[in-house]
Amino acid sequence: MTPYLIFVLKRFGQFLLVVFLGVSITFFVTHLTPIDPVEESIGAITQMGQSDPNAIELMRQSLRELYGMEGSIWQQYLHFWLRLATGDLGPSLSAFPTPVSTIIMRSLPWTIGLMTVSTLITFVLGNALGALAGYYRKNMVLKAVSLVCIALLPIPYYILAFVLLILFGYLWPVLPINGGYEMNANLNLSFALVLDILEHSILPALSLILVGAGSWLIGMRALVSNIITDDYVVFAELGGVPKRKILRSYIARNAMVPQFTGLAMSLGAIFNGTVITEIVFGYPGIGNLLISAVHAGDYSLVLGLSALSIVGVAAAVFIIDILSPLIDPRIKVE
Amino acid sequence: MQQLKRLAFGVALAALGLTAAARADDYTSLPRKETLIVENPEGTIKNPGWFNIWVNAGAGVSTGLQQLTMDTLWYIDPEQGLGGSTWDNSLAADKPQYNADFTEMTVKLRKGLFWSDGVEFTADDVVYTVKTQMDHPGMVWSAAFSVQVASVEATDPQTVVFKLKKPNSRFHALFTVRWNGAWIMPKHVFEKVADPLRYDFANPVSLGAYKLKAYDPQGKWYTWEKRDDWQKTSLARFGEPAPKYVTYVDPGPPDKRTIAQLEHNLDIIHDNTPEGMFTLKEKSKSIETWFPGFPFAHPDPTLPAVIFNTQDPTFNNPDVRWALALLIDIKAVDMASYRGTATLSALGVPPTAIAMKDYQAPMQDWLKDFEIDTGKQKIKPYDPTIGQQVADLLRKQPKFKDQIPTDPEAISTAFGYGWWKPNPQAAAELLEKAGFKKSGGKWMTPDGQPFKIRMTVEGDTRSVFTRAGTLIAQQWAAFGIDAKAVPTTNLWQVALQPGDFQVAIAWSVETWGGDPDLSFFLDSWHSQFVAKKGEVQPPRNWQRWTNPELDKIIETIRGISADDPKGIELGKDYLKLVAKEMPTIPLMSYNVFTSMDTTYWTGYPTIADPYTDPVPNWANSRLMMVKLKPAQPK
Repeated sequence: MTPYLIFVLKRFGQFLLVVFLGVSITFFVTHLTPIDPVEESIGAITQMGQSDPNAIELMRQSLRELYGMEGSIWQQYLHFWLRLATGDLGPSLSAFPTPVSTIIMRSLPWTIGLMTVSTLITFVLGNALGALAGYYRKNMVLKAVSLVCIALLPIPYYILAFVLLILFGYLWPVLPINGGYEMNANLNLSFALVLDILEHSILPALSLILVGAGSWLIGMRALVSNIITDDYVVFAELGGVPKRKILRSYIARNAMVPQFTGLAMSLGAIFNGTVITEIVFGYPGIGNLLISAVHAGDYSLVLGLSALSIVGVAAAVFIIDILSPLIDPRIKVE
Repeated sequence: MQQLKRLAFGVALAALGLTAAARADDYTSLPRKETLIVENPEGTIKNPGWFNIWVNAGAGVSTGLQQLTMDTLWYIDPEQGLGGSTWDNSLAADKPQYNADFTEMTVKLRKGLFWSDGVEFTADDVVYTVKTQMDHPGMVWSAAFSVQVASVEATDPQTVVFKLKKPNSRFHALFTVRWNGAWIMPKHVFEKVADPLRYDFANPVSLGAYKLKAYDPQGKWYTWEKRDDWQKTSLARFGEPAPKYVTYVDPGPPDKRTIAQLEHNLDIIHDNTPEGMFTLKEKSKSIETWFPGFPFAHPDPTLPAVIFNTQDPTFNNPDVRWALALLIDIKAVDMASYRGTATLSALGVPPTAIAMKDYQAPMQDWLKDFEIDTGKQKIKPYDPTIGQQVADLLRKQPKFKDQIPTDPEAISTAFGYGWWKPNPQAAAELLEKAGFKKSGGKWMTPDGQPFKIRMTVEGDTRSVFTRAGTLIAQQWAAFGIDAKAVPTTNLWQVALQPGDFQVAIAWSVETWGGDPDLSFFLDSWHSQFVAKKGEVQPPRNWQRWTNPELDKIIETIRGISADDPKGIELGKDYLKLVAKEMPTIPLMSYNVFTSMDTTYWTGYPTIADPYTDPVPNWANSRLMMVKLKPAQPK
């Protein structure tokens, strides 16, 4: 067995361990919260006019059985893994018996769309500005842009989200501030719907981009600042190679290697959603879904969403790790 | 350049065409003059394609599903009802008939009612509904039927006979809509389904006057269309429903609701903030509200109160509870919470519709004479002029002065009769009587510990009551008690059910509204249902209060029929007992700021024509459909 194959197998083992531990911790945390999905359902049923305490107690027993919440927490844990091993996330407890996977699949495309586009825009914008700012260090415009990005960086994105909401939703109301599309939109695929969805994604995406671009910019600028003093860059400059070519072919390409690692991590984290942004803008993604699941004590849905997130991030790290020795000549597997 | 312009024009035209095509079958494409647009307070529905209301599946019920397509045996309207009575025989032809010992109930059904797919409604549907739910634990009414029903059978197509496991004079309550009820299932649909518990009922067959037309797969709106054969439904007795289409939408937070109604895009707002309501009344000429002026809102048959956990030794003494009541300045609480729009109640029953006539008004003399003994003096704590004082206070505000009623009876209806007068001296005497002492300006408990109160409130979820709770805690703190309001999420589940609270703002009293029978909530207050400390309390006695006199009242009510006039006298006995014992401090009704736009529809229910509750998520709101009139020609 080659050293690389041994390395991949070891890393795969670590990947499985991370997923197992992450999902297990989530299982116990959710099951130890004081919110109980059975009691949530009882509350809803009580609202429907039932008040006979004997009937409520019987209903409590029935739901506990139906929701698979009988037995000790260890029995429930074992049952959970047995089910998950077959790819079954089980039914949602707050929307019983609709499968968790069905509910997640309704929200996931919204988050993936928003996060993928905003992550890629942030990455391209931040790195391009960072490379330019690092190379043309005396350019006043780039200096000003860098300053703005650095000033925005420490602002929590949800604060920026509120600022954008007030600016473009109330003071100058030109953009929609709630939902993923107009309430009365027809969801048949059409040009109008695409425009509508894009329009609704501008503010949430902007809140992520404005803050996110700053961190890419700073990282890239620091990398470029180091590289421009390397011998091969100095020789190229002395040799009269055009500045644009030096920046594009000599500096940016080398600086991008660690940045791509960061990008893969960011894309893996897409499954986390952006909970606060989605809440602020009422965006119909998995962040909003997660909050409603937590409030409803819907263990199954919380576990499903968490498992997705854990697998996403762990898989991204795993893929980066196994690809790094292949694409970066500085890394060798012993 | 010219080519570019042509291209841009072409793209714009195509976009417009696509937009028109995309909007072809959403609810805004329906003729506005024939469409009623209503807020669904459930918001965006998590499980939008689920219409099986017999399974609690996180789906909406106030999407129009329960109001327009469901039906059951009887309704009690929270207001005066149509047809001259709050009681409505809906699918039933008559009131429930019980045998002498209340172990058997016979129901006679109406003839000539049909499901929307043309199948006739019969007794078999009722029998199927009960048996199916009993056979499927987990369905919404399965436990209630299983606990009570020994057998059910159809003796002919229009007669159903229930045999009960034990006497119950209120068994019919399960099939009686207050807000909701045990809806009847279409046997011919569900009997073909493998598992009724897992069936989404995606194409709901309707027994109401409307049927599903379309809905948003993301759960933001639902549109219902009037059935061509609406005459074959129970609602037809009252006339033809006017709106051809009814759409229930999630219009977003209060500011968006307000804007939508100002733009005439939302006919009924279910509930608004007091501030949103003031804006609407100020800026719109077409808004109608329950009260034409202050307090605008409709009082729901629910009684928000300060609820004591009487299993906490500090609060198991009525003297302590009374002391805390006498420290509350209700006018300030009203202003802080409802901005003066509350309908106050000193009695343990919401000041709504019939309760005003049967309990609040007749008990005023008793309240005026009511005394409590502080140990050092006897005081009469009731101030019958508080409602009047609130009206006087509001009249000083230039913005509202013309909207405040002047007729004493109208003031009582809008703001309540009276409430307890603040009396710090008496409060101090009562606390001393209970063994409390004041030391260094702070009150200490009988065992020498600082008197601490943590008032659990719901935070943003119900900000009106959070503001009330915060102010009450401040009033107690000003008296030298270490009192604070503490917000929590999931108040009912995290605090009330497990009894993990000292004092909370919530409600444990819910009435029929349009019927004086208090059994709807009172039966569950019997001591047989009070959980031990640390165990989960079944609804609704969150205060976990027990009293032998109360048990006796409840047992007597159980033994008489729901419409026995003795019920009102027993209700008064309950009210006198809780006034004396103060297990909760009643505050006010739950006022709902419903506003109705008259641009497209008129004939909404108001205090002048109170034919039903205007709050549109109540199933009774189906009555609106036959009273509404189009405001503009088609």
